[in-house]
Parts: sequence; C-alpha cells; structure tokens
Amino acid sequence: MLDAVIDSLPIAIFCKNASEDFRFVLWNKMQEEVTGIPREKALGFTDFDLFPRSEAEGFRAMDEHVVLTGATVEIPAEEVQTGAGKTIWLHTVKVQVEDPALGKNLLLGMSEDVTERRLLNDHLDRKSAELESTQLQLIQAEKMESIGRLAAGVAHEVKNPLALLLMGVEYLDGGVKPGDPNLPEIIEEMREAIHRADKIIRGLVDFSSSGKLTLTRQDIRPVIDQALLLVRHELLRAGATVNTRYQPDLPDVRLDAAKFEQVIVNLLINALHALKDTEQPELDIAIWSVQAGADDLDEGSRSVDRVRPGDEVVIVQICDNGPGIPPDKLNQIFEPFFTTKPTGVGTGLGLSVVRNIIQLHKGRIEIGNRPEGGVRVVMSLRTPAATSEAIDNII
Amino acid sequence: MIKKRILLVDDEEGFTRLLKMNLEKTGKFDVMIENRSTKAALAAKLFHPDLILLDIVMPDMDGGDVASMIQSEPGLSQIPIVMLTALVEQDETSSGAVAQAGTLDVLAKPINMDVMMRCLEEKLGMSSG
Repeated sequence: MLDAVIDSLPIAIFCKNASEDFRFVLWNKMQEEVTGIPREKALGFTDFDLFPRSEAEGFRAMDEHVVLTGATVEIPAEEVQTGAGKTIWLHTVKVQVEDPALGKNLLLGMSEDVTERRLLNDHLDRKSAELESTQLQLIQAEKMESIGRLAAGVAHEVKNPLALLLMGVEYLDGGVKPGDPNLPEIIEEMREAIHRADKIIRGLVDFSSSGKLTLTRQDIRPVIDQALLLVRHELLRAGATVNTRYQPDLPDVRLDAAKFEQVIVNLLINALHALKDTEQPELDIAIWSVQAGADDLDEGSRSVDRVRPGDEVVIVQICDNGPGIPPDKLNQIFEPFFTTKPTGVGTGLGLSVVRNIIQLHKGRIEIGNRPEGGVRVVMSLRTPAATSEAIDNII
Repeated sequence: MIKKRILLVDDEEGFTRLLKMNLEKTGKFDVMIENRSTKAALAAKLFHPDLILLDIVMPDMDGGDVASMIQSEPGLSQIPIVMLTALVEQDETSSGAVAQAGTLDVLAKPINMDVMMRCLEEKLGMSSG
C-alpha cells in the first residue's frame, strides 16, 4: 500500500543507500516521468550508471555532504530535460534518513515540478522590470520639466559671476599700472566667480544626468546642499529663509544623488508655491539618524512603508510655515496629475514622482500638516547596514 | 571736475567691489557700496548720491520695493535710479515690483562698461570723454 501511495504523489521521490555506494533503493512513478528512466533500470544502480559522468559527480558530492553533515540540502530551481524531451524546473530537497532497524543510512530526495511557478516568477520579474523602467522614464520626464522651470534661476545664478568676470576684464582692458593695489583682489574675485559658475553648471548637468537608477553609498548632506543651490534663485525671489540643521556624524545612505536632488527640488518648489502668500516664508530642513519606528509621524498622512522597524535610517525632514494642505486633499497628493496649482504651473506629477523615487530607494515618505501650521515632509532612507540586513532577510 | 556720487546697491559683494573699481578708475565718480537691501534707503540719506544703481533680485527686499521706498522719501525722490539685473526673461524685468516702482532704466548683467558709462553720463547730464 505504501508503494501505491508513494507512486501516486505528484512529486518525484528517490532514495539511495548511502551504505552501499549510494545505489537507488526507491524510485517512484513521478521520478520515472521526470527522468524518463523506468524503475527497473534504476533500482540497484548508481548515478554513474544512469547519468552523464559530470552530472553524477555533482550528485555524489552533494549526497556525501548530506550524509556526512546531516544537513538538508535544497536546490531551489534546477533545469531538467524529462524523458519525453520536455524542459522543466525542479525544486529538490535532499535529506539523510537513518533506518536503525535495517541498519541502513539512506539519502532521501524529493523533487517538485516548479516550472509553472518559475514561469510566473519570470513573468512577474519581467513586469516588475518593465514597471521600474517606466517609472524611471516618468522620473526623467518630470526632471526635464523641472530643469525647464529651474533654467531661468540657474541662468541668473550664472549671470552674476559672469557680470563679475566682465567687470574684471573691463578693468584689465583699460590698462593696468604696475603695482596697482586692486589687481590681487580682482584676480581672486575672478577666480572665485569661475568656480561659482562652474559649480552651478556642474550641479545642473549632474541633476539632469542619466535615466538609470545608480545607488551609491554617500553622505546625503551635500546632495541637499546641491539641491538648495539649484533653487537658490527661487528661494531668493520668494524672500524665503532656509534654516538647516544637519546631524554632524550622520551615517551614509545608499542613494542616487541626482534623483534625490530631484526629490528635494520638487519639495522645495512645492513649498515655495504654497508659501507665496505667507508674510515671512520659512523652510526648515533637518537631517538626523534614528532607529526606524521611533519617529513620530502625523496621523492621516500618506505613507509608503519600505523601512523595517529597528533599521537604522536617515531622516530628512522639510517643514514650511505656509497654510498647510487641506485635509480633504491630503489623501490625493501622491496621485499622478493631482494638482492644486493653476494650469501651466505644475504638471501634477511632482509628488507622484517624489514617491516613486523614494520607493526606488526602498525608503518611506510621509507628508502631513504640522499642528502649529504648515506642512511637514518626512523621508526615511535606510543606511547600507540596514539595507544589507533587509536583503539578508529576503534571501 | 566734481565727481558724481553713485550709490551701488547689490548683494553680490564681489561684483560691487569690481564695479566700484571700474567706475572710480575713470576719475569721474565716487562710489558707495551697500550690499544689504534693507539699508539702501539709509545709505542714500547719508551719502546723498547723484544716482543709485540698484539690483533687482536681493534677499530681504527686492529692488522694486527698495526703489519705492527711496522714491517715497522726500529728500531722495528726485534721485535717478538705474536698475541692474541678471534676470533672464524680459517679463521679469518689465512687470511686478519693478514696474510698480515706476522705475526707469534697466541694465542687464553682465554689463559692458561702455554701456554703463553711456547710461550714467546721460542720466547725470555729463559730457562724455
């Protein structure tokens, strides 16, 4: 009866006698189908009799490891040609079984056909890659839109050092007397102006770079500063004061700098739009590190939870003293094409893209109203240590 | 020849220092620099300039508001003001606070000294050369 049960199971089962050169002592129906080898041609034989030498050597090494260590060995997915010539994927587990009554040391193998599951996973992986690619294209498109919005401000920031350079050239062009006391200062100012123009242009080029996601381990603070430089002109025109509080010994995060700059630029530009009727517009940017779960966030805010409790995370918080977000709009703010700005001012993609970028960083973003007024945006990004731990958990 | 007095209001410190050097090198001007927009009206009261060169985009107060404030002061309202700007778009220099201030000439940065001198000589009724 037991043989009938074993034969009716939808998994391939085989057993080898480890005490007798790993000869097969059990070979069920499904194992016949998978291998194309009938039971009578398998029982009493070894892998070396049934399979090509290289394959048999691999099986034997694994079997010996299982018997010697008592460990369970798992082959999550193994491509196999069936007896009928079909390619299938098997998930195989090998364990050691001791039979004290018979004095036998057996190796039991069980293989499950996971072809459908694997095809489904491949399909999901492909769809997930397509989705990520589409997300990146959307992010890049929105970035180009941001660059268009920033262009006038950046040009202004470059024109100022150019104006200084022209003043220097004009002075030198008029003829310089030997020992002119102004000369060292003029040369120094001109050099400084070139560095300043270079920095802002380099910043814009970096910002516009690559549609791919390139995560590298880095300090987040210079990324925020670079974003502030890109919107300096807009901040200046709005008369906004920016206060920054950065924790000095901040751990690095895994970051795509250009994309995270895009997040900060978007959030700052949004804040400036919201602050246009505020008497003394103020923005507070704070960065610190914390164990995830300890940060207290406003109820009712929208969140994308990708951080596990206990992970060390870096928090970036941006607060403004504007009118806040109407409570009935709070649950729509991350929706694509949702905008409260007049036509032509915003695409409605800004916050949707911000959320996408944070998701690609496996981070979390929450936006809510502060009790004292204004909006608070809190982003959590995992540190590399937390990231690898999380990956370990997944694997 | 009596030198004309120019008050230069611009938050770009390096630029103001070099423009002052260029203007004073001509031997025709005395230049006072004020880098803080909120102090511009006070500087004008103390310095009694013949002309004010005023940047548009500055922290705290923009040039348009500064011009309005100066023009509303009894002793200062007749002082000609020339705006300076690194703004790029035409509508930014011809609308908003700048237009409200009724301001006259706008010189776009980077500024060529020939253009600057022609403007100053015309506004101050000076003969060129």
